[in-house]
Amino acid sequence: MTATWIVYRKEIVEILRDRRTLIAIGLSALATPIVLSIISQVSTRTAAQTYTVGYTGDVPAGLDILLSGVQLKLEPVADPAAAARQQVDLGVAFLPDEIDEYYDPARQSAEIADTRLQTVLGQYNAAKAAAALQAKGVDPGILTPLRVVPHPLSSPVQAAGNAFLSFFLPYILITMILTGGFSAALDSTAGERERRTLESLLMTPAPRSRVLLGKILAVTSISLVAALAAITSMFIALSQVSLGSGPNAVHISLNPVAVPVMVWVALLLAITFSSVTLALGTLARSFRQGQAYVTPLYFITIFPASIILFIPDFNPSLAYYLIPVLNAVLVLRDAILHNTIAWPTLIVTSVSLAALGGFSWLAALRLFTREGLLTRS
Amino acid sequence: MTGALPREVTTSRGPLRAAVTVDRLRKTLGKNEVLRGISFTAGKGEIFGLLGPNGAGKTTTLRMICTLLAPDAGAIDVLGFDTRQAAAEVRRRVGVVTAEIGVYPRLSAVENIVYFARLSEVPEGEVRKRVDSVLDRLDMASFARQRAESLSSGQKQKVAIARAIVHDPPVLMFDEPTSNLDVLASKEIRDFMVESKARGKCVIFSTHVLHDAERLCDRVTIIHKGEVVASGTPAEVRGERLDLEDAFLRLVS
Repeated sequence: MTATWIVYRKEIVEILRDRRTLIAIGLSALATPIVLSIISQVSTRTAAQTYTVGYTGDVPAGLDILLSGVQLKLEPVADPAAAARQQVDLGVAFLPDEIDEYYDPARQSAEIADTRLQTVLGQYNAAKAAAALQAKGVDPGILTPLRVVPHPLSSPVQAAGNAFLSFFLPYILITMILTGGFSAALDSTAGERERRTLESLLMTPAPRSRVLLGKILAVTSISLVAALAAITSMFIALSQVSLGSGPNAVHISLNPVAVPVMVWVALLLAITFSSVTLALGTLARSFRQGQAYVTPLYFITIFPASIILFIPDFNPSLAYYLIPVLNAVLVLRDAILHNTIAWPTLIVTSVSLAALGGFSWLAALRLFTREGLLTRS
Repeated sequence: MTGALPREVTTSRGPLRAAVTVDRLRKTLGKNEVLRGISFTAGKGEIFGLLGPNGAGKTTTLRMICTLLAPDAGAIDVLGFDTRQAAAEVRRRVGVVTAEIGVYPRLSAVENIVYFARLSEVPEGEVRKRVDSVLDRLDMASFARQRAESLSSGQKQKVAIARAIVHDPPVLMFDEPTSNLDVLASKEIRDFMVESKARGKCVIFSTHVLHDAERLCDRVTIIHKGEVVASGTPAEVRGERLDLEDAFLRLVS
C-alpha cells in the first residue's frame, strides 16, 4: 500500500467523521434549492406586482385602461414630484401637450414602473398617431418604414434558461469546490499542527511528497463531492421550475456538451484549490489562523463569476483564458450558451489551471518540508 | 553509512554496541544557538538519559536524531545510518514518544496505530498481528475501539507509545513522556522503558525529572545551554553529592 493511498484513506475517514465538513456539504446542498426558490418567487412577484402612479391633471382617454393592463395603478396626488419620493412609485403630471414624469432612480420599484409606463406610452402614442393618419387617409405604415420580423435561431425561452445556467452553474461550482474543501484542507494541515500529530506523521519513513499528495487528493475528493451535491440539488430544484407558458414551457437543463466540460473544469479547479488551500493551511499555526488565511480566497475566486453577471455579453480574447478561475467560468459559460466545445479556449484554460495547480503543489511541498513547519510556534 | 564514529560504548555492565552516536552537533534556530557541539553515544540495551533544564536543547537533539531537523554541523549516526544521508532508513529504526500526546481524535485507538504501522512500512499481512501484539503488551484492549477524542490522557499516551513501537524499532526515544500524566500512567511508562531495555532496545530518555533518571538510566548526559556539562553513569555524575539533583543544580547554576 503506498503512502499516498494510506494517507488518502485516513483523511477521507476523518473527513467523513467531521461534523463541520458534513454540515457544510449538507447545508450547501440545501441552500442551492432554497436560493433558487427565493429567486424564482421574487422574479414572479416582481413581474406580477402592481405599482402605483401618482398623478395630477387629466388622464388621456384610454390610457388608464392600458396602464391597468400592465399593473400600473393611477392614484391622484397633490404634488407628483413629492409623492414620487415615497408615497407612490412614480409621479406623473398630465399637461395638455406633454407628460412630466418624476421618479427616484434609487428605487427599484420606480425603475420597473418607469419601464412599464414608457412601453405603454410608446404604444399609446403610436396608436394615436396611426389613428390621426388614418383619419386623414394616410397609411399608418409610413410610421414604420422598416418593419422588423424576428426569427430566433433557438428557443428564446431555452436561451433564457441557458443564460441563467451560464451564471449560476459556474458560481455554484466554484463556490462549492472552494468552500467544500476548506475545512478538510485546514484540518489536515493547520489542524495536524494544532493537535500535535504532525511531528509523529513526519517521523514516519513515508516521503513527505506522498503524504502531501494523499492529503491533496482527499481534499479534492471532498470538494468534488460538495460540488456534486450542490449541483445535483440545483438541477432537482430547477426541474420543478418551468420557463415560459403553454406549449412553449421548458425546464432548465444542461446541454450534453456542457456536462463533460463541467466535469473537466471541476476536476482542474478542485485539484488547484486543494493545493492552494493546503499550502495556506500549512502556513497557519492553528485552524483559526488558517481560516483567516483562506477566507480572502473566496472573494478573489468569486469575483470572476460575478463578471459574467454584470457583463453578460463579455466576449474576451484568448488571452483572458489564461486568467485562472475566470477562464473556468468563461469556458463553462461558452459550453452552456453555445452547446459547443471551443478547443483553443479549453486547452488554454486547462494549461493555465494546471500551471496554477502545479505551482501551488510545489509551494505546498516546499512549505511542508521546511524545518520551520515544526520549529515555528 | 558512517565510518569514523564509535562502534561501542562502555557501561557499568561492560561494553555495549553503539546504537546512536551524536558527534559535535551544532544547531541554530532563528537567532538562538541551541546546540553548541554536543557529543554522546547511546548503546543497545541501555536506557540513556538526556538531562537538562528547559531550553537546554534536549528536544532539538531528539528531533535531529529522528531526522525532523538537520544539523548545521556535526553528525548523527543511527545504527550505521547517517541522519542526513539516509533519513528514511533512520526513521524506519526509530520510535519517538513525546509529552505532547497528539492523536487523531476522530480515529479509534486501533485506527491510529494501524495508520502509523502502514506508514512505517509494516507489511500489510503483518499489520493486524503487530497491532494486536502492541495492544496486548500495553493492555489497551478495553479502549482499543474507542475514538481517541474520548480517551483519558493516560490512554492517549498509550496510543502514542503504541504507534511509536508498532514497527518494532530498535531505537526508542522518550521526550518528557510523563510530564502530563498521573502517577499510575507515569509508572506504566517507566515500566515500559525498562521492559524495552530488557528486549535489547536502545532507549533514550529525555527528562528534567532527575529522580526518574537516577532510577532508570544506565548512563546520563547533562546538557546546559547547548553544551554537554557532564556524562557518565548516574553515580559518576553524582560524585560526592547527595543525589543527581544536587549534582545537576551544581552543574547548571
